[in-house]
Order: sequence, then structure tokens, then C-alpha cells
Amino acid sequence: MRNKRIAFFAALAVLAASLAIAENVKLTFVYWGSPNEDIALKEAFKSFEAANPGITVEPMYIQGDISGTEYAAKLRAMAETDTLPDLGYFRPDQFGEFASAGYMLDLTNLVQRENMGKAYLPQVWLKVNNRIYGAYTAAECQMMFYNKDVLKKAGVPLPPSDYRKGWSWDQFVKYCRMITTDYKGRHPGDAGFDDRQVATYGVSLQLWHAMLTPPLWSGGGGIVSSDGRKFLMDSPESIDVIQKIADLINKEKVMPYTSPSSTSQAGLPAPPVMLANGQLGFYITGQWELLDIAKMNFPMGIGALPIFKKPAQMYISGASVIFKSTKHPKEAWLLYKWMMTPDKTLNLYSSGLWMPTKASWYSDPSDLAKWTDNPVHPPEYRTAVIDSMKIAETIPEARVKNYTQIVNECVNPQLDRVWLGEITAQEALKKAGELVRRQNLLQGTW
Amino acid sequence: MRSSGAARETIIKNGRKRNYLTRYNNFWGWLFITPVVLGLSLWVAFPLGLSLVASFTKWDLITRPVFVGFKNYIDMFVFDPLFWQAVVVTLYYTLVGVSLQIVLAFGAAMLLNTKVRGMNFFRTLFYLPSLVPVIVSSTLWMWLYNPQFGLLNLLLIHLGLEPQKWVYGTATVIPSLILMSIWGVGNIIVIFLAGLQDIPKQLLEAVEIDGGNAFHSFRHVIVPLMTPTILYNVVIGIINGFQTFTQPYIMTNGGPANASLFYVLHLYRQAFMFSKMGYANAMAWFVFIATGVISIIIFKTSKLWVFYQGEDKK
Repeated sequence: MRNKRIAFFAALAVLAASLAIAENVKLTFVYWGSPNEDIALKEAFKSFEAANPGITVEPMYIQGDISGTEYAAKLRAMAETDTLPDLGYFRPDQFGEFASAGYMLDLTNLVQRENMGKAYLPQVWLKVNNRIYGAYTAAECQMMFYNKDVLKKAGVPLPPSDYRKGWSWDQFVKYCRMITTDYKGRHPGDAGFDDRQVATYGVSLQLWHAMLTPPLWSGGGGIVSSDGRKFLMDSPESIDVIQKIADLINKEKVMPYTSPSSTSQAGLPAPPVMLANGQLGFYITGQWELLDIAKMNFPMGIGALPIFKKPAQMYISGASVIFKSTKHPKEAWLLYKWMMTPDKTLNLYSSGLWMPTKASWYSDPSDLAKWTDNPVHPPEYRTAVIDSMKIAETIPEARVKNYTQIVNECVNPQLDRVWLGEITAQEALKKAGELVRRQNLLQGTW
Repeated sequence: MRSSGAARETIIKNGRKRNYLTRYNNFWGWLFITPVVLGLSLWVAFPLGLSLVASFTKWDLITRPVFVGFKNYIDMFVFDPLFWQAVVVTLYYTLVGVSLQIVLAFGAAMLLNTKVRGMNFFRTLFYLPSLVPVIVSSTLWMWLYNPQFGLLNLLLIHLGLEPQKWVYGTATVIPSLILMSIWGVGNIIVIFLAGLQDIPKQLLEAVEIDGGNAFHSFRHVIVPLMTPTILYNVVIGIINGFQTFTQPYIMTNGGPANASLFYVLHLYRQAFMFSKMGYANAMAWFVFIATGVISIIIFKTSKLWVFYQGEDKK
């Protein structure tokens, strides 16, 4: 009888203990990204769980589509049905709209209380009405890769590695012409040069909207003013920059035509492959391509971006937020901070995919060593890329209303025709301006 | 469904009494169709109704919908500069594409209906492309269409012809997509082939006995008897054409310069890229009604040219 009673209480104790475990806080973290990023994040969640007993993290991995439209649509549907996760990645172009509608947790006081403001790059915090509702997940910018062998063979000097001392645009074009050769060794401008049979191209420059902003800013233009009230693409400065880029394809013949509007680059030999094969001299693209390019076996170099009028750099990244609907804001904030600490996902930085958001990781030698002291990041990376983040401006997508529509419906289709050589930048961008104004898309900022 | 309902009505009318058996049958009948009826009303009729209501609102999914009357429809016809572009692109692709598909598939089916050694091999060969998922065939064709390194331009250059921009050119993008769609007409060929094999041999023999040649039997026997199959393929082709989405979404993203901005791609962007759910719903209803009207017109006029076996030609 007594034994039975003991057994009963023991069972009760076991039950209570298991209930206590079940009282665990479970956080759902939503994100997109490559399979590599998925692995790195899951490792970070594991280490977070080990350091914070009683909290478990449920990963919600939504495989990325290129434009991010599917991810955004999924989150929108979850918002509508009140099933948003606790925290995670968020498309920056939809950030303002969601934050204004009250879906994001206000982080202002938390950031202030923990003195985090100064510890991170000034561009990191995403604000609406001067309140912080999120942060950029990482830092990304534009950079120029080159193949040393191709440059040497063409007799072109290696580009400067100080971002403030980049070549002028004209110099850059001159060197591109020296590199570009057809199968018979003729250069553009030589008699009989066959632009249909080019063996080596001078440059490939990504043409989607973010990639156009550093050159536009460098030339004194832009896409939309930062207050969202003025369309800048039809200014003489912007027109000049766009025409000069289009001339690389159609007039100078030093750049292969790549369709910026094609979502799949399938069929085009990827520029990194051309670069590694010696079919390309320079490749101007996003910093994140370092991940793939560093793995390729060729003498890779990194140079300062060519300059139109002044050095320019952009800051672009996905965003991270805590959703207001979370039942565990305290625990969510712990995880949020964890994910903002680059040590926890070090592999994403040292592999070349991301740049950190923490300020000391750009200046403190021991922090710098953590992510750049490896063969992926050559010595010139520091002066050409890291230092350029001092002047990096965030691209306006998270602030300016209707930015996606302005870019996708009004600007891109017109630019397509410029890249194709059908019309001039002047004609195209005047038309784009008309379209923006007719649809009344300039509605300021969030 | 319709015929079983009619049968039930006859029983009730003739019997004039709802005996146990009828009731028993009714019970089981209703029970068995319940899943379908529930499914259709919950997952088809209800969303359809909801989307009609939504088409009169301004709705971004994250804030409350606001009733705006016919504003979305007016915006569509009057203010959206890309709406008519999308309509023209879609009509161009559908009209040219469907005509070519029908003619070529019919021709191919005729060839595949002859008695030649290894016919099964050829039939498989023609049908095979339609088994390839659109995403795969789109990627393959992107390689073929590549202006710098693609196989098609390589061929053109070797033939001494001017290389083309294919899907990257404003004038050539729709013809390129049509060319690709013709590559995948295997489904239509199979349907035509089934129709051709249904043609009574004695009619063809009768033409022969009367001294007619191949053209006569084609013109006076095969084509008339194939008209129901042609009608079916035309209607399905037009509906599919109006709904084209995957190819432009994967291959061109509506470009260059909106030259392949198909209607459904435009709709998709409004809904999921620019969060204009109300407007996208209005667009969906317009294409739904347009498809319905065009189908009705085709069916009404089909009496003039479609000939069913066992029916006297009026």
C-alpha cells in the first residue's frame, strides 16, 4: 500500500517535471537564404539554445526566390491571418509599410537601454517616425573584382585599391577597350573588329536597380531623393551616367549584354565563370559574390570602383525584425541580439557572404582579423571595400513609398530599351519620369 | 452529374411516390457527393465570391480593406499604363500561338497517323517535350536563345544570317515564346491523333471508290470529322494562352521593356509585389469574364463550322 503511494507521488513528480519542461518558451524564427545560410543559422540557433536553457528556437526556412516576392507574399498572408512568427528576416522594401501598420515591435527603448546604438554602423537601424522597428541583418555593398592575368596580358595596370582613388570613368573605359578582343585579337575600334565573336570582354556590370545606385550617386544623380518627393532618374546627371553605362555595351562594345530583367540568368555563362576563365577583365557586382568567386581558382583581385565625380558606395541588406504579435518579446529580444552578434554566425562573414553590422568589426584589429584574416579576403579588400563603408548610403527601398513600383514598373522597362540600344538614356528616363508622375507614385517616406 | 440528377427527377415524376428505395438512394447519393460539394463551395465558390467583393476594395492584406466602388475597374481601363500593354501582349501570344499550334499539331498528327516502321518511336519523340516541366524547358530554351553563346545564334551565323536577340529583344520576345510553345504541342498532337483514329475507315474507302485522291479525303472527310477536336483544342488553347505565366515569370520577367508583360504576370505583380490585392482581384475578374465571353462566342459560332458524327449537315 505504502509502496503504491510512493509510486503514485513519484509519477506525479515526473509529470510535474515534464510539464515544467513543456513550459519552455518556443520562438519561431523566419528567414530566407542559400542552403549555406540555412546551415549557419541553424547552428546559431543551437548555440543560442545551449546558452539560454528554457528557450527553443523553431527555424522557419522559406527558400528564397530571386526577387523576394514569394517571401513577402507569405509573410503578408501570415500577417492577415494573425499567424506571424516571433521574429526573423524581413524584406526591406516592405518594411516601412508593415512598421507603419503596427506589425513590428518598437525596439527603440531596448536599443537605448543596452547602449547598442553606437556599437553598430549608423546605417543599421531601420526607423519609422524616428522609432527603431528593425535592423539590417548584415551589410553589403558594391565591389569590383578583376582577373590579374587578363589585365597583365592586355597591358592594363592593376586598379587602385583605395576606394577614394578609383580610376575616372574615362580611364576605366580606356582599359576596358584594351582588354576586349575578338577571336582574331582585334580590339573595339580596330578595323574589322567583330563584336559578335568576342573572346574577352573588358567588364560586366550588374544592371539591376541597386547596382546602378553607386554609379548614379558617384555622378551626382540617383533614382529617387531620400525624402521620396523627387524623381532623380531624369536629371541630367543620372541620364549621363546611364548613357555611359549603356555605351559600354552598344558603343564601346566592351561589355556583354546581360538582361537585367531576366529573373533567371540561366543560359548566360555567369560572369564569375567568365572572370575565372579569363573571358572577362572586370566584374562589378555585389560584395556577396565573394563567397563564390573566392572559391574559383584564378588570380583574383579587388579594386576601387571607378569614379564619375566623387567616390560613392551603397549599403544594402535584408532586414531583421521582431513581430509585435509575439507572446515572448523578452526571449525574442535575446535571440534578436544573439543573431546581431557576428561571432555567432562567423562563417557567414569569413566565407565572404556578408559584412558585419558591428562597428568594431571594421576598426578593431582583433575583430577585423576574425572575419578577414583568411584567403577569401585579399589584403586590398580592406581599403577598397571595408573602408568604403564609411561613405555608404542606404538604398532608399526601406524608406521611400512605392519604391518597388517606381523601379519595377517605370524605370526598369525603360532602361531595358537603353541597354538594348533602341533608345537613348535621355528618351527613356524622360518617359520613366512621366510614368512616375502620371501614376502619382512620389508619396514621400514612411 | 447532370444526367444522374435528371434520372432522379424522372423516377420521382414517374413514380409519384418517394418510396424507401428512392430515399435510401438519395441519402447515399448526397453522402457521396458531400465531399465534392463541400470542397467546391468552400475552396472554389467562396473564394470566388470573396475575390469579387475584394475587387471593389483597396486592400493590402495588412490594413483593413476600404470599399472604393468601381475605382479599381476605372483605374484598370483608364489610368494603368501597363494594363492595355498586358492585354495586347497576351492577345498577340494567344492568337498567333494558338493558330500555329493547331495547324502544326494537326499536321504532325496526320504524319504520325500513317503506317510507317518505327511509328511508336516517332510518336514518343513528338510527345516527349510535353512531359518536360515548364521550368526545365524554360531553362533549356534560355540556353538556346542566348544571344552570345546560344545554339540558335550559332546556327544563324553559320548559315550566314544575322544573329537575333530572341527573348532579349523587344520585337522577338513573343515570337520566341511562341516558338517554344510549339515545341511542346505533344498534348494537342495526342488529342488530334485520337480523333484521327476515330475516323471511320469506310468513309475514307468510299472516297477512294468514288475516285477521290488524298486531298479529297482530307478536305471532305478528315477535316469535317475533326472539327469537334479542333474546337476543343482552340478553346483550351485560348484559355491556356490567357493564363500564361510561368514562361515570362521564369524567362523574361515581363521584359525587355514590358514586351512580354503577360496579363497574369502583371496581375501577380500588382497582388504580391505592390500589394494591391483589390486591384489584382479586379484584373482577375476581367480576364475571367473575357475568357467566358470569348468561349461563348466560339461555341455559338461553332455551329457554323463544327460537324458532329451522326448529325446531318444543315
